[in-house]
Amino acid sequence: MDPLILASECDPAKEIICAPTNVIELFQFDEALFSIGPMDFTRTVILTFLAMFIVIGLLYFAFRTPRVVPTKFGAAMESLVLFVRDDVAKGTIGPDGIKYAPYLLSMFLFILVANLFEVTPFINFPLTSRMAIPLFLAVLTWVIFVFVGFKKNGISYLTGIIWPKSVPVALRWLVGLIEFFSTFLLRPITLAVRLFANLVAGHLMLTLLLGSGWIFMSAIGDIGIRSIIGLPWFVFGLGIFVFELVVAVLQAYIFTLLSAVYIQTSVHPEH
Amino acid sequence: MEEIKGAIALIGYGLAAIGPGIGIGIVVGNAIQAMARQPEAAGLARTTMFLGIAFTEALALIGFVLFFIA
Repeated sequence: MDPLILASECDPAKEIICAPTNVIELFQFDEALFSIGPMDFTRTVILTFLAMFIVIGLLYFAFRTPRVVPTKFGAAMESLVLFVRDDVAKGTIGPDGIKYAPYLLSMFLFILVANLFEVTPFINFPLTSRMAIPLFLAVLTWVIFVFVGFKKNGISYLTGIIWPKSVPVALRWLVGLIEFFSTFLLRPITLAVRLFANLVAGHLMLTLLLGSGWIFMSAIGDIGIRSIIGLPWFVFGLGIFVFELVVAVLQAYIFTLLSAVYIQTSVHPEH
Repeated sequence: MEEIKGAIALIGYGLAAIGPGIGIGIVVGNAIQAMARQPEAAGLARTTMFLGIAFTEALALIGFVLFFIA
Protein backbone atom coordinates (compact mmCIF):
# COMPACT_ATOMS: atom_id res chain seq x y z
CA MET A 1 0.00 0.00 0.00
CA ASP A 2 1.34 3.38 -0.88
CA PRO A 3 1.83 5.56 2.23
CA LEU A 4 -0.94 5.90 2.84
CA ILE A 5 -4.61 6.06 2.21
CA LEU A 6 -4.91 8.33 5.19
CA ALA A 7 -2.62 10.87 3.57
CA SER A 8 -4.69 11.33 0.45
CA GLU A 9 -6.24 14.52 1.81
CA CYS A 10 -3.17 15.66 3.72
CA ASP A 11 -1.06 18.65 2.79
CA PRO A 12 1.62 19.03 5.47
CA ALA A 13 2.75 22.40 4.13
CA LYS A 14 -0.53 24.08 5.02
CA GLU A 15 -2.25 21.96 7.66
CA ILE A 16 -0.57 20.65 10.79
CA ILE A 17 -3.20 17.98 11.36
CA CYS A 18 -3.57 15.09 8.96
CA ALA A 19 -6.49 12.75 9.34
CA PRO A 20 -8.19 10.22 7.12
CA THR A 21 -11.41 11.53 5.66
CA ASN A 22 -13.10 8.29 6.62
CA VAL A 23 -11.58 5.61 8.81
CA ILE A 24 -13.54 2.88 7.08
CA GLU A 25 -11.25 3.37 4.09
CA LEU A 26 -8.46 1.78 6.09
CA PHE A 27 -10.34 -1.49 6.30
CA GLN A 28 -12.03 -1.74 2.93
CA PHE A 29 -10.68 -3.15 -0.25
CA ASP A 30 -13.68 -3.09 -2.54
CA GLU A 31 -11.95 -3.43 -5.86
CA ALA A 32 -11.40 -7.05 -6.79
CA LEU A 33 -7.88 -7.97 -7.76
CA PHE A 34 -9.12 -10.78 -9.99
CA SER A 35 -12.25 -12.89 -10.34
CA ILE A 36 -12.96 -16.55 -10.91
CA GLY A 37 -16.50 -16.84 -12.19
CA PRO A 38 -18.86 -14.98 -9.85
CA MET A 39 -16.29 -14.93 -7.03
CA ASP A 40 -14.29 -11.75 -6.56
CA PHE A 41 -10.89 -12.03 -4.96
CA THR A 42 -10.14 -8.95 -2.90
CA ARG A 43 -7.14 -8.47 -0.68
CA THR A 44 -9.05 -9.81 2.33
CA VAL A 45 -10.03 -13.03 0.55
CA ILE A 46 -6.47 -13.65 -0.60
CA LEU A 47 -5.16 -13.06 2.91
CA THR A 48 -7.74 -15.48 4.30
CA PHE A 49 -6.49 -18.19 1.97
CA LEU A 50 -2.91 -17.25 2.79
CA ALA A 51 -3.61 -17.65 6.52
CA MET A 52 -5.17 -21.03 5.86
CA PHE A 53 -2.19 -22.25 3.83
CA ILE A 54 0.27 -20.94 6.43
CA VAL A 55 -1.50 -22.87 9.20
CA ILE A 56 -1.66 -26.05 7.11
CA GLY A 57 1.97 -25.64 6.09
CA LEU A 58 3.16 -25.05 9.66
CA LEU A 59 1.44 -28.17 10.93
CA TYR A 60 2.42 -30.28 7.92
CA PHE A 61 6.11 -29.44 7.94
CA ALA A 62 6.35 -29.72 11.72
CA PHE A 63 4.81 -33.19 12.00
CA ARG A 64 5.51 -34.62 8.52
CA THR A 65 7.93 -37.28 9.75
CA PRO A 66 7.74 -38.55 13.31
CA ARG A 67 11.13 -38.16 14.97
CA VAL A 68 12.51 -39.33 18.30
CA VAL A 69 14.40 -36.07 18.66
CA PRO A 70 12.30 -33.33 17.08
CA THR A 71 13.86 -30.45 15.20
CA LYS A 72 13.76 -27.00 16.78
CA PHE A 73 10.82 -25.99 14.61
CA GLY A 74 9.03 -29.24 15.39
CA ALA A 75 9.59 -28.80 19.11
CA ALA A 76 8.24 -25.25 18.98
CA MET A 77 5.09 -26.34 17.15
CA GLU A 78 4.74 -29.27 19.52
CA SER A 79 4.80 -27.01 22.54
CA LEU A 80 2.12 -24.85 20.90
CA VAL A 81 -0.08 -27.87 20.20
CA LEU A 82 0.45 -29.25 23.70
CA PHE A 83 -0.35 -25.85 25.17
CA VAL A 84 -3.73 -25.72 23.43
CA ARG A 85 -4.48 -29.39 24.12
CA ASP A 86 -3.41 -29.62 27.75
CA ASP A 87 -3.76 -26.11 29.13
CA VAL A 88 -6.75 -24.82 27.19
CA ALA A 89 -8.81 -27.89 26.20
CA LYS A 90 -8.09 -30.31 29.04
CA GLY A 91 -7.45 -27.64 31.66
CA THR A 92 -10.73 -25.86 31.03
CA ILE A 93 -13.17 -28.51 29.85
CA GLY A 94 -11.79 -31.46 31.79
CA PRO A 95 -10.64 -34.91 30.67
CA ASP A 96 -13.16 -35.12 27.82
CA GLY A 97 -11.91 -31.79 26.50
CA ILE A 98 -9.52 -33.74 24.28
CA LYS A 99 -12.41 -34.10 21.81
CA TYR A 100 -12.51 -30.36 21.25
CA ALA A 101 -8.75 -29.93 21.02
CA PRO A 102 -8.62 -30.13 17.17
CA TYR A 103 -11.25 -27.42 16.82
CA LEU A 104 -9.60 -25.19 19.42
CA LEU A 105 -6.15 -25.73 17.92
CA SER A 106 -7.15 -24.91 14.37
CA MET A 107 -9.03 -21.84 15.53
CA PHE A 108 -6.13 -20.71 17.71
CA LEU A 109 -3.61 -21.04 14.89
CA PHE A 110 -5.84 -19.37 12.32
CA ILE A 111 -6.57 -16.39 14.57
CA LEU A 112 -2.92 -16.18 15.55
CA VAL A 113 -1.76 -16.01 11.94
CA ALA A 114 -4.57 -13.65 10.98
CA ASN A 115 -3.72 -11.35 13.89
CA LEU A 116 -0.01 -11.45 13.19
CA PHE A 117 -0.67 -10.16 9.67
CA GLU A 118 -1.15 -6.83 11.44
CA VAL A 119 2.54 -6.63 12.32
CA THR A 120 3.87 -8.46 9.28
CA PRO A 121 5.77 -6.04 7.06
CA PHE A 122 4.25 -5.53 3.58
CA ILE A 123 0.93 -7.04 4.66
CA ASN A 124 0.10 -4.81 7.65
CA PHE A 125 -3.55 -5.70 7.66
CA PRO A 126 -5.11 -7.75 10.47
CA LEU A 127 -7.56 -10.10 8.86
CA THR A 128 -9.67 -10.16 12.00
CA SER A 129 -10.40 -6.45 11.74
CA ARG A 130 -13.07 -7.27 9.18
CA MET A 131 -16.16 -8.12 11.23
CA ALA A 132 -17.10 -11.03 8.95
CA ILE A 133 -14.23 -13.23 10.10
CA PRO A 134 -14.44 -12.92 13.92
CA LEU A 135 -18.23 -13.07 13.66
CA PHE A 136 -18.08 -16.27 11.64
CA LEU A 137 -15.67 -17.85 14.13
CA ALA A 138 -17.86 -16.76 17.04
CA VAL A 139 -20.98 -18.20 15.38
CA LEU A 140 -19.07 -21.45 14.86
CA THR A 141 -18.30 -21.59 18.59
CA TRP A 142 -21.93 -20.74 19.33
CA VAL A 143 -23.22 -23.59 17.18
CA ILE A 144 -20.80 -26.01 18.83
CA PHE A 145 -21.59 -25.12 22.44
CA VAL A 146 -25.36 -25.05 21.87
CA PHE A 147 -25.19 -28.40 20.05
CA VAL A 148 -23.02 -29.94 22.75
CA GLY A 149 -25.32 -28.61 25.46
CA PHE A 150 -28.41 -30.19 23.91
CA LYS A 151 -26.57 -33.42 23.11
CA LYS A 152 -25.17 -33.89 26.62
CA ASN A 153 -28.13 -32.69 28.67
CA GLY A 154 -31.13 -32.89 26.37
CA ILE A 155 -33.88 -30.35 26.86
CA SER A 156 -32.76 -29.77 30.46
CA TYR A 157 -29.94 -27.65 29.04
CA LEU A 158 -32.47 -25.06 27.97
CA THR A 159 -34.69 -25.37 31.03
CA GLY A 160 -31.65 -25.19 33.29
CA ILE A 161 -30.85 -21.81 31.77
CA ILE A 162 -34.31 -20.22 31.68
CA TRP A 163 -35.54 -21.81 34.96
CA PRO A 164 -32.43 -22.22 37.16
CA LYS A 165 -33.09 -24.54 40.10
CA SER A 166 -30.39 -23.06 42.34
CA VAL A 167 -32.12 -19.67 42.56
CA PRO A 168 -35.09 -18.79 44.83
CA VAL A 169 -38.42 -19.31 43.03
CA ALA A 170 -39.42 -15.65 43.08
CA LEU A 171 -36.27 -14.63 41.19
CA ARG A 172 -36.08 -17.50 38.73
CA TRP A 173 -37.84 -15.74 35.84
CA LEU A 174 -35.56 -12.71 36.14
CA VAL A 175 -32.31 -14.67 36.40
CA GLY A 176 -33.53 -16.99 33.65
CA LEU A 177 -34.24 -14.07 31.34
CA ILE A 178 -30.81 -12.53 31.93
CA GLU A 179 -29.10 -15.89 31.55
CA PHE A 180 -30.99 -16.65 28.35
CA PHE A 181 -29.96 -13.40 26.70
CA SER A 182 -26.39 -13.50 27.94
CA THR A 183 -25.91 -17.12 26.84
CA PHE A 184 -27.54 -17.17 23.45
CA LEU A 185 -27.18 -13.57 22.32
CA LEU A 186 -24.44 -11.71 24.14
CA ARG A 187 -21.86 -14.50 24.19
CA PRO A 188 -21.26 -14.69 20.42
CA ILE A 189 -21.53 -10.93 20.00
CA THR A 190 -19.02 -10.08 22.73
CA LEU A 191 -16.73 -12.88 21.58
CA ALA A 192 -16.64 -11.43 18.07
CA VAL A 193 -16.54 -7.77 19.10
CA ARG A 194 -13.67 -8.35 21.55
CA LEU A 195 -11.39 -9.73 18.86
CA PHE A 196 -12.59 -7.29 16.20
CA ALA A 197 -12.30 -4.12 18.29
CA ASN A 198 -8.86 -4.99 19.64
CA LEU A 199 -7.47 -5.45 16.16
CA VAL A 200 -9.26 -2.40 14.74
CA ALA A 201 -7.86 -0.24 17.54
CA GLY A 202 -4.38 -1.60 16.98
CA HIS A 203 -4.50 -1.15 13.22
CA LEU A 204 -5.81 2.40 13.56
CA MET A 205 -3.13 3.35 16.06
CA LEU A 206 -0.36 1.88 13.95
CA THR A 207 -1.60 3.47 10.75
CA LEU A 208 -2.15 6.90 12.25
CA LEU A 209 1.13 7.05 14.20
CA LEU A 210 3.46 5.52 11.62
CA GLY A 211 1.59 7.18 8.74
CA SER A 212 1.60 10.68 10.15
CA GLY A 213 5.19 10.29 11.28
CA TRP A 214 6.23 9.22 7.81
CA ILE A 215 4.25 11.99 6.11
CA PHE A 216 5.82 14.69 8.25
CA MET A 217 9.35 13.35 8.00
CA SER A 218 9.18 12.92 4.25
CA ALA A 219 7.88 16.47 3.81
CA ILE A 220 11.10 17.96 5.18
CA GLY A 221 11.73 19.87 1.96
CA ASP A 222 8.37 21.63 2.17
CA ILE A 223 8.01 22.45 5.85
CA GLY A 224 11.61 22.49 7.04
CA ILE A 225 12.31 22.22 10.76
CA ARG A 226 8.67 21.58 11.61
CA SER A 227 8.98 18.09 10.18
CA ILE A 228 10.77 17.02 13.38
CA ILE A 229 7.30 16.59 14.87
CA GLY A 230 7.06 13.40 12.84
CA LEU A 231 9.94 11.75 14.67
CA PRO A 232 8.27 11.21 18.07
CA TRP A 233 5.17 9.93 16.31
CA PHE A 234 7.22 7.42 14.38
CA VAL A 235 9.10 6.22 17.49
CA PHE A 236 5.86 5.99 19.45
CA GLY A 237 4.37 4.01 16.58
CA LEU A 238 7.25 1.55 16.70
CA GLY A 239 6.62 1.11 20.43
CA ILE A 240 2.96 0.38 19.71
CA PHE A 241 4.19 -2.10 17.08
CA VAL A 242 5.76 -4.26 19.80
CA PHE A 243 2.67 -3.86 21.96
CA GLU A 244 0.46 -5.05 19.10
CA LEU A 245 2.59 -8.18 18.80
CA VAL A 246 1.58 -9.04 22.38
CA VAL A 247 -2.06 -8.11 21.73
CA ALA A 248 -2.22 -10.35 18.65
CA VAL A 249 -1.03 -13.41 20.56
CA LEU A 250 -3.10 -12.59 23.63
CA GLN A 251 -6.33 -12.11 21.68
CA ALA A 252 -5.90 -15.43 19.89
CA TYR A 253 -5.39 -17.07 23.28
CA ILE A 254 -8.38 -15.32 24.85
CA PHE A 255 -10.68 -16.24 21.96
CA THR A 256 -9.66 -19.89 22.25
CA LEU A 257 -9.89 -19.87 26.04
CA LEU A 258 -13.36 -18.32 26.02
CA SER A 259 -14.56 -20.82 23.42
CA ALA A 260 -13.33 -23.59 25.71
CA VAL A 261 -15.05 -22.00 28.71
CA TYR A 262 -18.34 -21.71 26.80
CA ILE A 263 -18.12 -25.34 25.73
CA GLN A 264 -17.34 -26.29 29.33
CA THR A 265 -20.47 -24.55 30.64
CA SER A 266 -22.49 -26.58 28.14
CA VAL A 267 -20.85 -29.87 29.06
CA HIS A 268 -21.19 -29.34 32.80
CA PRO A 269 -23.99 -26.77 33.19
CA GLU A 270 -24.20 -27.19 36.97
CA HIS A 271 -20.93 -25.36 37.57
CA MET B 1 -26.80 19.04 17.12
CA GLU B 2 -25.08 17.66 14.08
CA GLU B 3 -21.85 19.61 14.45
CA ILE B 4 -21.03 18.26 17.93
CA LYS B 5 -21.79 14.65 17.05
CA GLY B 6 -18.15 13.57 17.15
CA ALA B 7 -17.63 15.19 20.53
CA ILE B 8 -20.59 13.33 22.06
CA ALA B 9 -19.29 10.00 20.76
CA LEU B 10 -15.88 10.72 22.24
CA ILE B 11 -17.40 11.51 25.64
CA GLY B 12 -19.40 8.31 25.41
CA TYR B 13 -16.28 6.31 24.77
CA GLY B 14 -14.54 8.01 27.68
CA LEU B 15 -17.43 7.13 29.98
CA ALA B 16 -17.43 3.55 28.71
CA ALA B 17 -13.74 3.22 29.53
CA ILE B 18 -14.07 4.24 33.21
CA GLY B 19 -15.76 1.08 34.48
CA PRO B 20 -13.52 -1.43 32.70
CA GLY B 21 -10.46 0.58 33.73
CA ILE B 22 -11.36 0.20 37.39
CA GLY B 23 -12.43 -3.40 36.84
CA ILE B 24 -9.22 -4.49 35.14
CA GLY B 25 -7.26 -2.79 37.92
CA ILE B 26 -9.13 -4.81 40.53
CA VAL B 27 -8.78 -8.06 38.56
CA VAL B 28 -5.05 -7.71 37.94
CA GLY B 29 -4.32 -6.42 41.42
CA ASN B 30 -6.04 -9.35 43.07
CA ALA B 31 -4.43 -11.81 40.66
CA ILE B 32 -0.98 -10.46 41.54
CA GLN B 33 -1.84 -10.76 45.21
CA ALA B 34 -2.94 -14.35 44.69
CA MET B 35 0.25 -15.16 42.77
CA ALA B 36 2.41 -13.59 45.45
CA ARG B 37 0.67 -15.43 48.26
CA GLN B 38 0.62 -18.78 46.51
CA PRO B 39 3.28 -18.96 43.78
CA GLU B 40 2.49 -22.62 43.04
CA ALA B 41 -1.01 -21.59 41.89
CA ALA B 42 0.34 -18.84 39.63
CA GLY B 43 -0.66 -20.64 36.41
CA LEU B 44 -4.27 -20.99 37.49
CA ALA B 45 -4.40 -17.40 38.70
CA ARG B 46 -2.96 -16.17 35.40
CA THR B 47 -5.53 -18.05 33.29
CA THR B 48 -8.37 -16.80 35.44
CA MET B 49 -6.92 -13.29 35.31
CA PHE B 50 -6.97 -13.28 31.51
CA LEU B 51 -10.55 -14.52 31.56
CA GLY B 52 -11.54 -11.76 33.96
CA ILE B 53 -9.76 -9.14 31.88
CA ALA B 54 -11.44 -10.39 28.71
CA PHE B 55 -14.91 -10.20 30.25
CA THR B 56 -14.27 -6.78 31.75
CA GLU B 57 -12.67 -5.15 28.77
CA ALA B 58 -15.56 -6.15 26.50
CA LEU B 59 -17.52 -3.17 27.83
CA ALA B 60 -14.80 -0.72 26.86
CA LEU B 61 -14.49 -2.30 23.44
CA ILE B 62 -18.24 -2.05 22.84
CA GLY B 63 -17.92 1.63 23.69
CA PHE B 64 -15.05 1.90 21.22
CA VAL B 65 -17.09 0.29 18.46
CA LEU B 66 -20.09 2.48 19.22
CA PHE B 67 -17.81 5.51 18.88
CA PHE B 68 -17.28 4.62 15.24
CA ILE B 69 -20.91 3.67 14.63
CA ALA B 70 -22.30 6.87 16.18
